[in-house]
Amino acid sequence: MRALWRASLALLGKELRIELRTGEVVLMTGLFATLVTVLTSLSFYLDTRTALRVAPGVLWIAVTFAGVLAMGRSWAREREHDVFRGLLMTPMPRAALYLSKVASSLIFLAVVELVLVLQVAVFFNVELFAVALPLLSLLGLGSVGFVATGNLFAALSVRTRARDMMLSVIVFPVVAPALLCGVVATRELFAGAPMSDIAAWMQILGAFDLAFLAAGIALFDVLIQD
Amino acid sequence: MRLLSAPVALQFERVEVRKLVKLYGATRALSGLDLDLKAGEITSIEGPNGSGKSTLLSILALLSRPTRGSLRFGSHDPSRLPALRGRIGLVGHAAMVYPDLSGDENLALLSRLHDAGDHALSEMGKRFELGAFMQRPARTYSRGQLQRLSLARALLNRPALLLLDEPSTGLDGRGVERLCEAVRQERDRGAIVALVTHDTALAERLADRRVRLRRGRLEQAERAGEPA
Repeated sequence: MRALWRASLALLGKELRIELRTGEVVLMTGLFATLVTVLTSLSFYLDTRTALRVAPGVLWIAVTFAGVLAMGRSWAREREHDVFRGLLMTPMPRAALYLSKVASSLIFLAVVELVLVLQVAVFFNVELFAVALPLLSLLGLGSVGFVATGNLFAALSVRTRARDMMLSVIVFPVVAPALLCGVVATRELFAGAPMSDIAAWMQILGAFDLAFLAAGIALFDVLIQD
Repeated sequence: MRLLSAPVALQFERVEVRKLVKLYGATRALSGLDLDLKAGEITSIEGPNGSGKSTLLSILALLSRPTRGSLRFGSHDPSRLPALRGRIGLVGHAAMVYPDLSGDENLALLSRLHDAGDHALSEMGKRFELGAFMQRPARTYSRGQLQRLSLARALLNRPALLLLDEPSTGLDGRGVERLCEAVRQERDRGAIVALVTHDTALAERLADRRVRLRRGRLEQAERAGEPA
Protein backbone atom coordinates (compact mmCIF):
# COMPACT_ATOMS: atom_id res chain seq x y z
CA MET A 1 0.00 0.00 0.00
CA ARG A 2 2.87 2.36 0.80
CA ALA A 3 4.42 1.65 -2.57
CA LEU A 4 1.12 2.50 -4.22
CA TRP A 5 0.81 5.88 -2.51
CA ARG A 6 4.43 6.83 -3.03
CA ALA A 7 4.35 5.99 -6.72
CA SER A 8 1.00 7.80 -7.05
CA LEU A 9 2.46 10.92 -5.44
CA ALA A 10 5.56 10.80 -7.65
CA LEU A 11 3.37 10.56 -10.75
CA LEU A 12 0.98 13.25 -9.50
CA GLY A 13 3.97 15.55 -9.02
CA LYS A 14 4.92 14.87 -12.63
CA GLU A 15 1.39 15.68 -13.82
CA LEU A 16 1.31 18.98 -11.95
CA ARG A 17 4.80 19.95 -13.09
CA ILE A 18 3.93 19.39 -16.75
CA GLU A 19 0.65 21.28 -16.38
CA LEU A 20 2.30 24.22 -14.62
CA ARG A 21 4.82 24.33 -17.45
CA THR A 22 2.40 23.99 -20.36
CA GLY A 23 -1.01 24.92 -18.93
CA GLU A 24 -2.59 23.10 -21.86
CA VAL A 25 -5.20 20.99 -20.04
CA VAL A 26 -6.61 23.75 -17.83
CA LEU A 27 -6.45 26.43 -20.54
CA MET A 28 -7.98 24.26 -23.24
CA THR A 29 -10.79 22.91 -21.06
CA GLY A 30 -11.38 26.29 -19.41
CA LEU A 31 -11.82 27.97 -22.77
CA PHE A 32 -14.11 25.21 -23.95
CA ALA A 33 -16.25 25.39 -20.81
CA THR A 34 -16.47 29.17 -21.15
CA LEU A 35 -17.61 28.82 -24.73
CA VAL A 36 -20.36 26.38 -23.69
CA THR A 37 -21.54 28.73 -20.94
CA VAL A 38 -21.57 31.84 -23.09
CA LEU A 39 -23.29 30.19 -26.06
CA THR A 40 -25.96 28.54 -23.96
CA SER A 41 -26.61 31.73 -22.02
CA LEU A 42 -27.15 33.54 -25.30
CA SER A 43 -29.41 30.77 -26.58
CA PHE A 44 -31.50 30.01 -23.50
CA TYR A 45 -31.66 33.18 -21.44
CA LEU A 46 -35.24 34.39 -21.40
CA ASP A 47 -35.93 35.56 -17.87
CA THR A 48 -34.59 34.94 -14.37
CA ARG A 49 -36.77 31.90 -13.70
CA THR A 50 -35.98 30.18 -17.00
CA ALA A 51 -32.29 30.96 -16.56
CA LEU A 52 -32.26 29.27 -13.15
CA ARG A 53 -33.90 26.18 -14.64
CA VAL A 54 -31.39 25.98 -17.47
CA ALA A 55 -28.30 26.71 -15.35
CA PRO A 56 -27.82 23.23 -13.77
CA GLY A 57 -27.84 21.55 -17.17
CA VAL A 58 -25.39 24.07 -18.61
CA LEU A 59 -23.09 23.68 -15.64
CA TRP A 60 -22.95 19.89 -15.78
CA ILE A 61 -22.71 19.72 -19.57
CA ALA A 62 -19.77 22.12 -19.49
CA VAL A 63 -18.11 20.18 -16.66
CA THR A 64 -18.48 16.78 -18.28
CA PHE A 65 -17.42 17.86 -21.77
CA ALA A 66 -14.47 19.74 -20.32
CA GLY A 67 -13.63 16.68 -18.22
CA VAL A 68 -13.56 14.38 -21.25
CA LEU A 69 -11.26 16.85 -23.03
CA ALA A 70 -9.00 17.11 -19.99
CA MET A 71 -8.67 13.36 -19.52
CA GLY A 72 -8.09 12.78 -23.22
CA ARG A 73 -5.30 15.34 -23.31
CA SER A 74 -3.80 14.10 -20.07
CA TRP A 75 -3.51 10.52 -21.40
CA ALA A 76 -2.27 11.76 -24.76
CA ARG A 77 0.88 12.82 -22.90
CA GLU A 78 1.54 9.17 -22.12
CA ARG A 79 1.31 8.35 -25.81
CA GLU A 80 4.00 10.79 -26.89
CA HIS A 81 7.42 9.17 -27.18
CA ASP A 82 5.81 5.88 -26.04
CA VAL A 83 6.11 6.87 -22.36
CA PHE A 84 3.18 4.65 -21.41
CA ARG A 85 5.14 1.52 -22.32
CA GLY A 86 8.09 2.72 -20.28
CA LEU A 87 5.90 3.36 -17.23
CA LEU A 88 4.25 -0.04 -17.46
CA MET A 89 7.69 -1.63 -17.27
CA THR A 90 8.50 -0.14 -13.89
CA PRO A 91 7.84 -2.28 -10.81
CA MET A 92 5.37 0.22 -9.33
CA PRO A 93 1.81 -0.97 -8.70
CA ARG A 94 0.08 -0.04 -11.94
CA ALA A 95 -2.90 1.34 -10.07
CA ALA A 96 -0.57 4.22 -9.09
CA LEU A 97 -0.76 5.48 -12.65
CA TYR A 98 -4.55 5.42 -12.48
CA LEU A 99 -4.71 7.13 -9.09
CA SER A 100 -2.32 9.88 -10.17
CA LYS A 101 -4.46 10.54 -13.25
CA VAL A 102 -7.64 10.64 -11.15
CA ALA A 103 -6.07 13.08 -8.69
CA SER A 104 -4.60 15.34 -11.36
CA SER A 105 -7.84 15.35 -13.38
CA LEU A 106 -9.70 16.35 -10.22
CA ILE A 107 -7.32 19.22 -9.58
CA PHE A 108 -7.49 20.47 -13.18
CA LEU A 109 -11.26 20.11 -13.26
CA ALA A 110 -11.63 21.90 -9.91
CA VAL A 111 -9.85 24.94 -11.33
CA VAL A 112 -12.13 24.94 -14.36
CA GLU A 113 -15.21 24.41 -12.18
CA LEU A 114 -14.39 27.43 -10.01
CA VAL A 115 -14.30 29.65 -13.08
CA LEU A 116 -17.36 27.95 -14.50
CA VAL A 117 -19.44 28.46 -11.36
CA LEU A 118 -18.67 32.19 -11.44
CA GLN A 119 -19.59 32.39 -15.10
CA VAL A 120 -22.86 30.52 -14.60
CA ALA A 121 -23.69 32.76 -11.65
CA VAL A 122 -23.19 35.85 -13.80
CA PHE A 123 -24.79 34.63 -17.03
CA PHE A 124 -27.71 32.79 -15.44
CA ASN A 125 -28.43 35.08 -12.53
CA VAL A 126 -27.67 32.55 -9.77
CA GLU A 127 -27.43 33.89 -6.19
CA LEU A 128 -24.06 32.34 -5.60
CA PHE A 129 -23.54 33.23 -1.94
CA ALA A 130 -26.62 31.27 -0.92
CA VAL A 131 -25.63 28.08 -2.75
CA ALA A 132 -21.84 28.23 -3.13
CA LEU A 133 -20.85 25.62 -0.57
CA PRO A 134 -23.39 22.89 -1.42
CA LEU A 135 -22.92 23.60 -5.14
CA LEU A 136 -19.17 23.14 -4.93
CA SER A 137 -19.69 19.99 -2.84
CA LEU A 138 -22.05 18.57 -5.46
CA LEU A 139 -19.63 19.41 -8.25
CA GLY A 140 -16.76 17.91 -6.28
CA LEU A 141 -18.60 14.67 -5.58
CA GLY A 142 -19.85 14.41 -9.15
CA SER A 143 -16.37 15.05 -10.49
CA VAL A 144 -14.77 12.28 -8.42
CA GLY A 145 -17.00 9.58 -9.91
CA PHE A 146 -16.71 11.10 -13.36
CA VAL A 147 -12.90 11.21 -13.47
CA ALA A 148 -12.63 7.83 -11.72
CA THR A 149 -14.57 6.26 -14.58
CA GLY A 150 -13.22 8.50 -17.31
CA ASN A 151 -9.59 7.81 -16.53
CA LEU A 152 -10.14 4.07 -16.54
CA PHE A 153 -11.39 4.21 -20.13
CA ALA A 154 -9.04 7.00 -21.16
CA ALA A 155 -6.15 4.66 -20.32
CA LEU A 156 -7.54 2.18 -22.82
CA SER A 157 -7.79 4.93 -25.40
CA VAL A 158 -3.99 5.34 -25.35
CA ARG A 159 -3.80 2.26 -27.54
CA THR A 160 -6.92 2.89 -29.62
CA ARG A 161 -7.13 4.76 -32.89
CA ALA A 162 -10.61 6.26 -32.45
CA ARG A 163 -9.63 7.32 -28.94
CA ASP A 164 -11.58 10.58 -28.55
CA MET A 165 -14.80 9.11 -29.84
CA MET A 166 -14.36 5.92 -27.83
CA LEU A 167 -13.87 7.83 -24.60
CA SER A 168 -17.08 9.84 -24.98
CA VAL A 169 -19.11 6.88 -26.22
CA ILE A 170 -18.12 4.63 -23.31
CA VAL A 171 -17.84 7.07 -20.42
CA PHE A 172 -21.14 8.92 -20.67
CA PRO A 173 -23.43 5.87 -20.48
CA VAL A 174 -21.44 4.48 -17.53
CA VAL A 175 -21.52 7.68 -15.49
CA ALA A 176 -25.05 8.67 -16.54
CA PRO A 177 -26.64 7.74 -13.18
CA ALA A 178 -24.13 9.86 -11.25
CA LEU A 179 -24.52 12.76 -13.67
CA LEU A 180 -28.29 12.60 -13.38
CA CYS A 181 -27.96 12.78 -9.59
CA GLY A 182 -25.71 15.80 -9.93
CA VAL A 183 -28.03 17.62 -12.32
CA VAL A 184 -31.18 16.91 -10.30
CA ALA A 185 -29.51 17.88 -7.01
CA THR A 186 -28.24 21.14 -8.55
CA ARG A 187 -31.71 21.89 -9.89
CA GLU A 188 -33.21 21.32 -6.42
CA LEU A 189 -30.51 23.48 -4.89
CA PHE A 190 -31.17 26.37 -7.26
CA ALA A 191 -34.91 25.97 -6.62
CA GLY A 192 -34.32 26.51 -2.90
CA ALA A 193 -34.69 22.92 -1.60
CA PRO A 194 -33.67 22.34 2.04
CA MET A 195 -30.17 21.07 2.75
CA SER A 196 -31.53 17.74 3.98
CA ASP A 197 -32.75 17.01 0.42
CA ILE A 198 -29.42 17.99 -1.07
CA ALA A 199 -27.55 15.90 1.50
CA ALA A 200 -29.43 12.81 0.35
CA TRP A 201 -28.22 13.39 -3.21
CA MET A 202 -24.72 13.92 -1.91
CA GLN A 203 -24.81 10.53 -0.19
CA ILE A 204 -25.82 8.86 -3.43
CA LEU A 205 -23.04 10.66 -5.29
CA GLY A 206 -20.58 9.61 -2.57
CA ALA A 207 -21.64 5.99 -2.97
CA PHE A 208 -21.15 6.22 -6.75
CA ASP A 209 -17.69 7.70 -6.16
CA LEU A 210 -16.61 4.88 -3.89
CA ALA A 211 -17.91 2.25 -6.30
CA PHE A 212 -16.28 3.86 -9.36
CA LEU A 213 -12.96 4.38 -7.56
CA ALA A 214 -12.83 0.86 -6.20
CA ALA A 215 -13.70 -0.57 -9.62
CA GLY A 216 -11.04 1.61 -11.24
CA ILE A 217 -8.28 0.53 -8.86
CA ALA A 218 -9.26 -3.12 -9.17
CA LEU A 219 -9.71 -3.17 -12.95
CA PHE A 220 -6.98 -0.86 -14.21
CA ASP A 221 -4.19 -3.43 -14.35
CA VAL A 222 -6.44 -5.98 -16.03
CA LEU A 223 -7.82 -3.56 -18.62
CA ILE A 224 -4.46 -2.23 -19.79
CA GLN A 225 -3.06 -5.73 -20.33
CA ASP A 226 -2.64 -6.53 -23.99
CA MET B 1 12.39 7.49 -1.28
CA ARG B 2 12.17 3.71 -1.51
CA LEU B 3 9.20 2.23 -3.30
CA LEU B 4 9.74 -1.44 -2.61
CA SER B 5 9.61 -1.93 1.11
CA ALA B 6 10.96 -5.51 1.04
CA PRO B 7 13.54 -6.23 -1.65
CA VAL B 8 12.97 -9.62 -3.25
CA ALA B 9 15.73 -11.76 -4.77
CA LEU B 10 14.97 -11.30 -8.44
CA GLN B 11 18.07 -12.75 -10.00
CA PHE B 12 17.90 -14.88 -13.13
CA GLU B 13 20.41 -15.94 -15.73
CA ARG B 14 18.14 -17.47 -18.29
CA VAL B 15 14.84 -16.76 -19.99
CA GLU B 16 12.96 -19.80 -21.24
CA VAL B 17 10.16 -19.51 -23.76
CA ARG B 18 8.24 -22.74 -24.33
CA LYS B 19 5.50 -23.44 -26.87
CA LEU B 20 4.48 -19.80 -26.80
CA VAL B 21 1.26 -18.96 -28.63
CA LYS B 22 -0.22 -15.49 -28.98
CA LEU B 23 -3.51 -14.93 -30.72
CA TYR B 24 -5.01 -11.56 -31.62
CA GLY B 25 -8.55 -12.62 -32.47
CA ALA B 26 -8.14 -14.97 -35.42
CA THR B 27 -4.60 -13.79 -36.13
CA ARG B 28 -1.84 -16.07 -34.85
CA ALA B 29 1.17 -13.89 -34.00
CA LEU B 30 3.17 -16.66 -32.29
CA SER B 31 2.66 -20.35 -33.04
CA GLY B 32 4.36 -22.48 -30.41
CA LEU B 33 7.67 -20.66 -30.20
CA ASP B 34 10.57 -22.17 -28.21
CA LEU B 35 13.55 -19.99 -27.37
CA ASP B 36 16.25 -19.69 -24.70
CA LEU B 37 18.04 -16.46 -23.84
CA LYS B 38 21.15 -16.63 -21.67
CA ALA B 39 23.03 -14.22 -19.45
CA GLY B 40 26.14 -12.71 -20.99
CA GLU B 41 24.85 -13.24 -24.50
CA ILE B 42 23.35 -10.96 -27.12
CA THR B 43 20.66 -12.71 -29.15
CA SER B 44 19.35 -10.97 -32.23
CA ILE B 45 15.78 -11.79 -33.20
CA GLU B 46 15.21 -11.23 -36.89
CA GLY B 47 12.54 -12.01 -39.43
CA PRO B 48 10.16 -10.39 -41.89
CA ASN B 49 7.26 -8.14 -40.87
CA GLY B 50 4.53 -10.20 -39.22
CA SER B 51 6.91 -12.94 -38.11
CA GLY B 52 6.13 -12.29 -34.43
CA LYS B 53 9.24 -10.36 -33.33
CA SER B 54 7.40 -7.43 -31.76
CA THR B 55 4.86 -9.71 -30.12
CA LEU B 56 7.65 -11.79 -28.61
CA LEU B 57 9.37 -8.64 -27.36
CA SER B 58 6.14 -7.39 -25.84
CA ILE B 59 5.67 -10.69 -23.98
CA LEU B 60 9.30 -10.70 -22.80
CA ALA B 61 8.77 -7.13 -21.54
CA LEU B 62 5.73 -8.40 -19.59
CA LEU B 63 3.56 -5.90 -21.45
CA SER B 64 1.52 -8.64 -23.04
CA ARG B 65 0.38 -12.05 -21.84
CA PRO B 66 0.77 -15.15 -24.00
CA THR B 67 -2.40 -16.98 -25.00
CA ARG B 68 -0.70 -20.32 -24.29
CA GLY B 69 2.73 -21.61 -23.43
CA SER B 70 5.14 -20.71 -20.70
CA LEU B 71 7.66 -17.99 -19.98
CA ARG B 72 10.15 -18.34 -17.15
CA PHE B 73 12.82 -15.97 -15.91
CA GLY B 74 15.24 -18.42 -14.28
CA SER B 75 13.17 -20.13 -11.59
CA HIS B 76 10.58 -17.33 -11.56
CA ASP B 77 7.18 -17.29 -13.19
CA PRO B 78 6.80 -13.62 -14.20
CA SER B 79 3.01 -13.81 -14.22
CA ARG B 80 3.16 -14.42 -10.45
CA LEU B 81 5.93 -11.95 -9.69
CA PRO B 82 5.18 -8.49 -11.13
CA ALA B 83 8.26 -7.05 -9.39
CA LEU B 84 10.29 -8.74 -12.13
CA ARG B 85 9.30 -5.79 -14.32
CA GLY B 86 11.91 -3.84 -12.41
CA ARG B 87 14.62 -6.18 -13.75
CA ILE B 88 13.85 -5.48 -17.40
CA GLY B 89 15.12 -2.60 -19.52
CA LEU B 90 13.77 -1.63 -22.92
CA VAL B 91 15.39 0.55 -25.56
CA GLY B 92 13.20 1.31 -28.54
CA HIS B 93 13.25 3.87 -31.33
CA ALA B 94 11.02 6.06 -29.15
CA ALA B 95 12.81 7.53 -26.12
CA MET B 96 9.94 6.80 -23.65
CA VAL B 97 10.45 10.09 -21.84
CA TYR B 98 8.12 13.04 -21.23
CA PRO B 99 8.99 15.74 -23.77
CA ASP B 100 7.85 18.55 -21.44
CA LEU B 101 10.11 17.43 -18.59
CA SER B 102 13.85 17.90 -18.59
CA GLY B 103 16.15 14.90 -18.86
CA ASP B 104 17.00 15.25 -15.17
CA GLU B 105 13.32 15.31 -14.20
CA ASN B 106 12.57 12.29 -16.37
CA LEU B 107 15.39 10.27 -14.84
CA ALA B 108 14.52 11.38 -11.31
CA LEU B 109 10.92 10.21 -11.79
CA LEU B 110 12.04 6.86 -13.20
CA SER B 111 14.56 6.50 -10.41
CA ARG B 112 11.76 6.90 -7.84
CA LEU B 113 9.51 4.43 -9.62
CA HIS B 114 12.35 1.93 -9.90
CA ASP B 115 13.65 2.66 -6.42
CA ALA B 116 17.04 3.06 -8.06
CA GLY B 117 18.52 5.71 -5.78
CA ASP B 118 20.72 8.75 -6.42
CA HIS B 119 23.87 6.73 -7.03
CA ALA B 120 22.27 5.18 -10.12
CA LEU B 121 21.44 8.64 -11.44
CA SER B 122 24.99 9.89 -11.07
CA GLU B 123 26.36 6.67 -12.54
CA MET B 124 24.17 7.08 -15.63
CA GLY B 125 25.14 10.74 -15.86
CA LYS B 126 28.82 9.85 -16.05
CA ARG B 127 28.40 6.83 -18.26
CA PHE B 128 26.39 8.60 -20.95
CA GLU B 129 27.93 12.08 -20.55
CA LEU B 130 24.62 13.64 -19.62
CA GLY B 131 25.62 17.27 -19.39
CA ALA B 132 23.99 20.69 -19.23
CA PHE B 133 21.37 19.76 -21.83
CA MET B 134 19.68 17.56 -19.21
CA GLN B 135 18.14 20.67 -17.65
CA ARG B 136 16.26 21.56 -20.83
CA PRO B 137 12.90 20.01 -21.80
CA ALA B 138 13.45 16.73 -23.63
CA ARG B 139 11.48 17.98 -26.65
CA THR B 140 14.39 20.29 -27.47
CA TYR B 141 16.95 17.45 -27.65
CA SER B 142 18.82 16.32 -30.72
CA ARG B 143 18.41 12.66 -31.73
CA GLY B 144 21.78 11.87 -30.18
CA GLN B 145 20.93 13.53 -26.86
CA LEU B 146 17.60 11.76 -26.81
CA GLN B 147 19.33 8.44 -27.39
CA ARG B 148 21.73 9.02 -24.48
CA LEU B 149 18.78 9.84 -22.24
CA SER B 150 16.92 6.77 -23.51
CA LEU B 151 19.88 4.50 -22.75
CA ALA B 152 20.24 6.01 -19.28
CA ARG B 153 16.51 5.47 -18.68
CA ALA B 154 16.62 1.85 -19.77
CA LEU B 155 19.77 0.97 -17.82
CA LEU B 156 18.99 2.94 -14.66
CA ASN B 157 17.71 -0.17 -12.87
CA ARG B 158 20.67 -2.38 -13.97
CA PRO B 159 18.37 -4.73 -15.90
CA ALA B 160 18.95 -8.47 -15.89
CA LEU B 161 17.09 -8.61 -19.20
CA LEU B 162 17.75 -5.87 -21.74
CA LEU B 163 15.37 -5.70 -24.69
CA LEU B 164 16.22 -3.66 -27.77
CA ASP B 165 13.46 -2.87 -30.25
CA GLU B 166 14.86 -1.49 -33.51
CA PRO B 167 17.20 0.66 -31.43
CA SER B 168 19.27 2.02 -34.32
CA THR B 169 16.35 3.67 -36.17
CA GLY B 170 17.25 7.25 -37.03
CA LEU B 171 20.70 7.16 -35.45
CA ASP B 172 23.84 8.43 -37.14
CA GLY B 173 27.15 6.53 -37.10
CA ARG B 174 28.20 7.98 -33.72
CA GLY B 175 24.83 7.08 -32.23
CA VAL B 176 25.05 3.48 -33.46
CA GLU B 177 28.59 3.24 -32.08
CA ARG B 178 27.42 4.49 -28.67
CA LEU B 179 24.52 2.05 -28.70
CA CYS B 180 26.79 -0.91 -29.54
CA GLU B 181 29.22 0.06 -26.81
CA ALA B 182 26.49 0.30 -24.18
CA VAL B 183 24.92 -3.01 -25.21
CA ARG B 184 28.26 -4.84 -25.11
CA GLN B 185 28.94 -3.41 -21.65
CA GLU B 186 25.60 -4.75 -20.46
CA ARG B 187 26.34 -8.15 -21.95
CA ASP B 188 29.76 -8.20 -20.28
CA ARG B 189 28.12 -7.24 -16.98
CA GLY B 190 26.06 -10.43 -17.29
CA ALA B 191 22.77 -9.16 -18.65
CA ILE B 192 20.59 -11.18 -21.00
CA VAL B 193 20.24 -9.12 -24.17
CA ALA B 194 17.60 -9.57 -26.88
CA LEU B 195 17.86 -7.40 -29.97
CA VAL B 196 14.88 -7.21 -32.31
CA THR B 197 15.93 -5.65 -35.59
CA HIS B 198 15.60 -5.55 -39.34
CA ASP B 199 19.10 -4.10 -39.50
CA THR B 200 21.23 -7.08 -40.56
CA ALA B 201 24.43 -5.07 -40.24
CA LEU B 202 23.64 -4.22 -36.61
CA ALA B 203 22.78 -7.86 -35.84
CA GLU B 204 26.05 -9.05 -37.45
CA ARG B 205 27.99 -6.48 -35.48
CA LEU B 206 26.43 -7.12 -32.07
CA ALA B 207 24.88 -10.55 -31.81
CA ASP B 208 26.56 -13.60 -30.28
CA ARG B 209 23.63 -15.66 -31.49
CA ARG B 210 21.13 -14.94 -34.23
CA VAL B 211 17.65 -16.37 -34.43
CA ARG B 212 15.16 -15.90 -37.20
CA LEU B 213 11.40 -16.09 -36.82
CA ARG B 214 8.91 -16.92 -39.50
CA ARG B 215 5.14 -17.07 -39.02
CA GLY B 216 5.49 -17.06 -35.27
CA ARG B 217 7.98 -19.93 -35.09
CA LEU B 218 11.70 -20.27 -34.80
CA GLU B 219 12.97 -20.82 -38.34
CA GLN B 220 16.70 -20.67 -37.82
CA ALA B 221 19.24 -20.25 -35.01
CA GLU B 222 22.96 -19.82 -35.41
CA ARG B 223 25.99 -18.75 -33.42
CA ALA B 224 27.72 -15.62 -34.66
CA GLY B 225 29.57 -16.51 -37.83
CA GLU B 226 28.64 -20.20 -38.06
CA PRO B 227 25.39 -22.13 -38.51
CA ALA B 228 24.24 -24.03 -35.40
